[in-house]
Parts: sequence; C-alpha cells; structure tokens
Amino acid sequence: MLAAGGLRGDEVFGEIPGRNTVVVADKVAVNAVLAGCRPEFFPVVAGAVKALCHPDFAYHGPASSTGGSAMVLVVNGPIVRRLGINAGNNLFGQGVRANATIGRAVRLTMMNVMQTQPGLFDRATLGNPGKYSFCFAENEDESPWEPFHVSRGLRREQSAVTVYASNSLYQIYNQLAATPEPLLRCFADALCNLGVPNVKGYSQALLVFAGEHSEVLAKSGWSRHDVATFIIEHARRPVADFKRAARLPGDPTAADETTPRAIFERPDDFLIVSAGGRAGSWSACLPGWGNKWTRPVTMPIEERS
Amino acid sequence: MTEIFDPTSAPVVREVRLAPRPADLRGLRLGLIENTKFNSDALLLKLADRLRDRYGMSMTHMARKRSPSHEVDDAALATLKAQSDVVVSGIGD
Repeated sequence: MLAAGGLRGDEVFGEIPGRNTVVVADKVAVNAVLAGCRPEFFPVVAGAVKALCHPDFAYHGPASSTGGSAMVLVVNGPIVRRLGINAGNNLFGQGVRANATIGRAVRLTMMNVMQTQPGLFDRATLGNPGKYSFCFAENEDESPWEPFHVSRGLRREQSAVTVYASNSLYQIYNQLAATPEPLLRCFADALCNLGVPNVKGYSQALLVFAGEHSEVLAKSGWSRHDVATFIIEHARRPVADFKRAARLPGDPTAADETTPRAIFERPDDFLIVSAGGRAGSWSACLPGWGNKWTRPVTMPIEERS
Repeated sequence: MTEIFDPTSAPVVREVRLAPRPADLRGLRLGLIENTKFNSDALLLKLADRLRDRYGMSMTHMARKRSPSHEVDDAALATLKAQSDVVVSGIGD
C-alpha cells in the first residue's frame, strides 16, 4: 500500500490541533488495507487525509459535532479514469470498489487514528449513511464547466481530491425545466427550508448536477458563478418564517414579514459539480456543516511511484 | 510467521502544567472566551455579572474564536494572559 503511493511509513500527513493527533502514513495504510483498497487507490486516500488535517478544514468541529457530517470526497483529474472511480450512474450508491473503499479508508483512519470514535470525539446525534463512505468523481467529460479542481486553482492534468463536510444529501427532482431558472428555484427552495442546519450565519453547499440537468445548464451557457448568484438571490425567506418556527428568537414583527433573510452570502460558498447518470431528472444538494466554520479543501493527489 | 498490524494510534502525550488555582476570587481580573455559537456571549456576560456582584471581579477581555471549530488564536491567548487572572471558556447553542 505504501509502495503504491511511493511513501515511507513514517511520513507525517498532518496533525489535528487540540487532539494531540499526528497522522502518520503507515497507520493510514493499515486502515486502507482494512477498508479493502487496492494499492493504487492509496494516493487518493493520502490526499484526502492530508486535506482533513489542513487548518482551513478545522477538523475538530465537523468531525465531532452532533450534526454528524459525512466527509464527502470529490475526485478529479486523470486518476479518475485510471482507478475507475464512479462519476456516472448510481453516483452515491453501491457497487464500485474504488468509491466504496477510498471513502471507507478515510473514515476508518478518522476512527482509529484521529480519535473520532462514535460516542467519544464523534458526538453525532443521528449520523448519516455517508459516514461509512462518501467518495465520487466528477464527470469532467460531460460537464458544462471546466473541471471542478481547475475552478479551485489546480491544473487540468493534475489529479485532486476535495474534502467537504455535509450532514445530509437531498435529491432534487425536476422533469420539466428547460431553462436554468425553474430548475434552480428547486435548489433554492430546498436549501432554505425551516429545518436547515444553519440560520444564524451563512452557509455553504455542494450542488451535484446530473445528466439532464447538466444539459439544461450547458445549453443555457450559465457559468458556475451564474448558478450560485441565482441561488443566493432565491434561497431566502422572511425573518418572520424563521421566528414562527423558533429558528430565530422572538416573536415576528410586522417588519419581519417583509424582511428577507438570505441563507447564502457569496458565490464561492458553493461547490458546483457535474456527475451522475445521463438519464433521469435528478440532481442533489448537500448543505455544509456549520456557519462556514469549516472550509472545503482541495488537495493535489501525489503519485510518486 | 504472520505479522499483525495495529490500525490504531493513540494521541501524542504531552505534559500540560495547569496554572495555579487562586485561593480567592475576590477582586481578580476575569477573561472570557466565547465560541461564536448562539448565545455563547450572552451566557458568558451574565456569568461575568454574577462574578462581579459576588466577588467584585472585573471583566477585562472577551476573546471571540474564529469559529467553534477553531482553537483560540495565539494573539487572543497572549491578551488573556496579560489581562486576566482567571479565564472562563464556554459554549452556546
């Protein structure tokens, strides 16, 4: 496993402040074996673990919160095809070894090395099935946009893994929309329901557009920035709604009935990816953990061997 | 001979020395660390009021973390160290 990544066993992948945790390559490799990874998967696992240790990810919060986040791994670049990481049908489902075992290796490393055992430093109330494993690739060949990792500053020929914390996945259905506006209204509505986790500050979200919805956006020429801007504008509802639902304190005033509260702040708070099957009118949104208390991290995948 | 690999590793043990506890709170300077969650600051300020009324403590500084997920930064720690005799850290939600 280590040899496939060109790694020494004592190489330090990172540290988690506050937990006195140092993550070393040999322990991650043992967990990758336990998870069922093929050796050639290990550079992706290594990149994901390094991303978890990055200060911007602020590991302690999303890993230990009652919100029970999955660590979502999005893989880009030439390594996707080489390893056979699924970017198509049944994107979030079962059946592909790379997707299943890379995500599982990361979670086992969290539990066994990063002190993230349920009931101890993982205080999830419910958790979610993505906590077993959550790994997929972008379908770069059929995306309306440049590859996701390129939009985050890397080169097209590089491979990369992006790590993002989310406590839920919501599928969006729309079989009639032929233009972006009605389609994106569905996303905006789903992302500002009264039960969304974060209403005190601003949120972030991962949007995954699958085949038919990707086609609508491709034909329209809308950029990622256009998509995000539209959703920022429409993912809002009156302050009074949140007060009536006791999501904000106090009784609603007359002014609250006409004062909108936005859920999102900036276009770059959206991660926008194209992936999933060609057929069907389904896409997905995954709200981020916390009020931007963790930031997604994109890590180049090093293939040394 | 079968070699068994252990997938676990324990935290690195580091020696931590606790500051000496004051024998008496009367007249001491109070620092607060709030974690940015809902009502964290309100809870700590109420606590500061109680400590002022009961022991005559003066609140000298309230540090605000970058987020609940981040540690207290070094600059805030230095300020708390310079301006406080006792520090209370708390969360809200």
